[in-house]
Amino acid sequence: MKTVEKVVNPVKRAGEQSPGKIYDEKLKVRRRREWRGVKDTFYDYTRWLYLMSVLGRFIIVPRNIKGFFRYRWMMSYLFVPHGMDKFTVGLRDEALRIAHTSFNFVIADVTQAIANCFRGDRRVGNDKAYSDKCVITDENSMVTFMMGFDTDKVHTILREVPTMFASNIFHQFNVMHYLDVAQLNGIAGDVCPMPEAEAGISIDDDFCVLGSCAVQNNTTCDGSLMGNGIIAKRLERQYGIPTFQLATPLRHKEPDVLEYAAEEIKQAIAFVEKHTGEKWNWDTYFAAAKRVNFATKCRIAQMEINSTPYPQFFGAAFSLYNDTNYMGNSGRMPAFVDIDKKLLALAEQGYKAKRMYAKEYRHRCIVWGVQPQYVIDMLYWLVQCWGVVPLTDMLSVINTDMIADEDTPENREQAYRDMAMLNMEMIMRNHTHGGYKVLLDELWELCEKMNADIVMMWEHMSCKALTGMHGMFEEQARERGIHIMWVSHDLCDPRVFTRQAIRDQVNSYMRTVMREEPLDPSLENIPDSEAY
Amino acid sequence: MKKLAKIPLIALLAVLGFFVVTFTIYFFNLDMKATSLLAPYLQKWYDKMEHDHYL
Repeated sequence: MKTVEKVVNPVKRAGEQSPGKIYDEKLKVRRRREWRGVKDTFYDYTRWLYLMSVLGRFIIVPRNIKGFFRYRWMMSYLFVPHGMDKFTVGLRDEALRIAHTSFNFVIADVTQAIANCFRGDRRVGNDKAYSDKCVITDENSMVTFMMGFDTDKVHTILREVPTMFASNIFHQFNVMHYLDVAQLNGIAGDVCPMPEAEAGISIDDDFCVLGSCAVQNNTTCDGSLMGNGIIAKRLERQYGIPTFQLATPLRHKEPDVLEYAAEEIKQAIAFVEKHTGEKWNWDTYFAAAKRVNFATKCRIAQMEINSTPYPQFFGAAFSLYNDTNYMGNSGRMPAFVDIDKKLLALAEQGYKAKRMYAKEYRHRCIVWGVQPQYVIDMLYWLVQCWGVVPLTDMLSVINTDMIADEDTPENREQAYRDMAMLNMEMIMRNHTHGGYKVLLDELWELCEKMNADIVMMWEHMSCKALTGMHGMFEEQARERGIHIMWVSHDLCDPRVFTRQAIRDQVNSYMRTVMREEPLDPSLENIPDSEAY
Repeated sequence: MKKLAKIPLIALLAVLGFFVVTFTIYFFNLDMKATSLLAPYLQKWYDKMEHDHYL
């Protein structure tokens, strides 16, 4: 079997050595916050103050209070600091700053998204003039078709992000109600809980209602299509919001699908123009395209650092930041550029100083498959408990090509193809669709490039897109001498697999197959399965 | 003049008081503990609300 060189951290971690002690089975939150030494505890405290100020500024607006008491999913946002703490357990120095810089920005962005939803919502803010300039977009859609609309004239509302996706990060039980609603209304229980919860939110009438129109995408699976159908039906028939179906080809590696996909993008843009009354602006588009390219360059640089013995930016924060920047933003907001620069500077600084997340790196790991790592602090746990470094995850392995960013007549035609390519190869869809080459071959190439000896395969119980390839993964990993560690979960339904049940699969593998002892035994069993 | 001289001292004490109170809340996770006590009541509030189910 393949092995990698062990890297030992010569520097003892400041503050407490066993963060497992901060958990308490009698509480639904942590007993206390972690002592990280004076410097890092003070930094963490100032970031907590910042988060409190973000939440405080949000809730002093009367319509946001109204929205808070109207929508069940808003309860999750009471636990934002708890969710943030989940992604900083055991972190020090640059790693702590990287997690805060990226995740705090995501939180501020989601808070703004909720405020925008409430402003236009017919039940809460009911600002009709604002709502008429809003376009609801699919959570699983890359919003490239909005890149050429001026952000002060047309507002992109990713309604499902604050309602379902982000709310589940802060409170693991909060979408269970919507899963129950969906199943009580006859939706099968073996569908992916993410689109099923979104369908449940629509059935339960718990989505904000706003916008002049909506755009949905046939992403990323059968469950997603089912959920979109239910949501579109209510949007169109009950609320009179016309909904465009952006039919994106699944075989995105085949060159002959590109023209069709580009035509679909043109149709989506024309649909938005028709319903908002605003025109596509090529200056706005190419400025956004430059920012998309910059984000791509920064992500490539981060991945290159992660290919060295001293990876810096990984884990849930890396994945979530990429999700927000690449898919939700798509170059539209200039503020991401500064954050990209800051994150890269921190990673380079950490790399030069040879900073490590744990006292020892024993294995280098690629995390593959449909991941639940937002509801659980799994990737940081993996490195600190077992010394297994999660170099990158499947959702962060996305486009590396540059798109046309100079305004010329040829590039205006190329732009449709670029938007189509980005949309076809967006997060999740680029590996779960497109054949075994994108799911299997690219994984082994990545193992080679990043010098990984373990693949942690997330096996999502309700995901049909990946389970069919179980045997091929096993066979090909064996041929290459790579350890493959299967970890089952059911995404956002903690009743099927609790957090500890997920971790126990790794614990068993590391003890029985790898014959190893944990780096930090206080983390092997954590009583947080009932915690928010 | 004496009153003016006291302003920096009062400001310093206010900053110190703010730090002691907020750091205590932060370190002992009192914000999240209080929120977790509130959550069951909020849950009941949301459970009582009428919703128009539509499939």
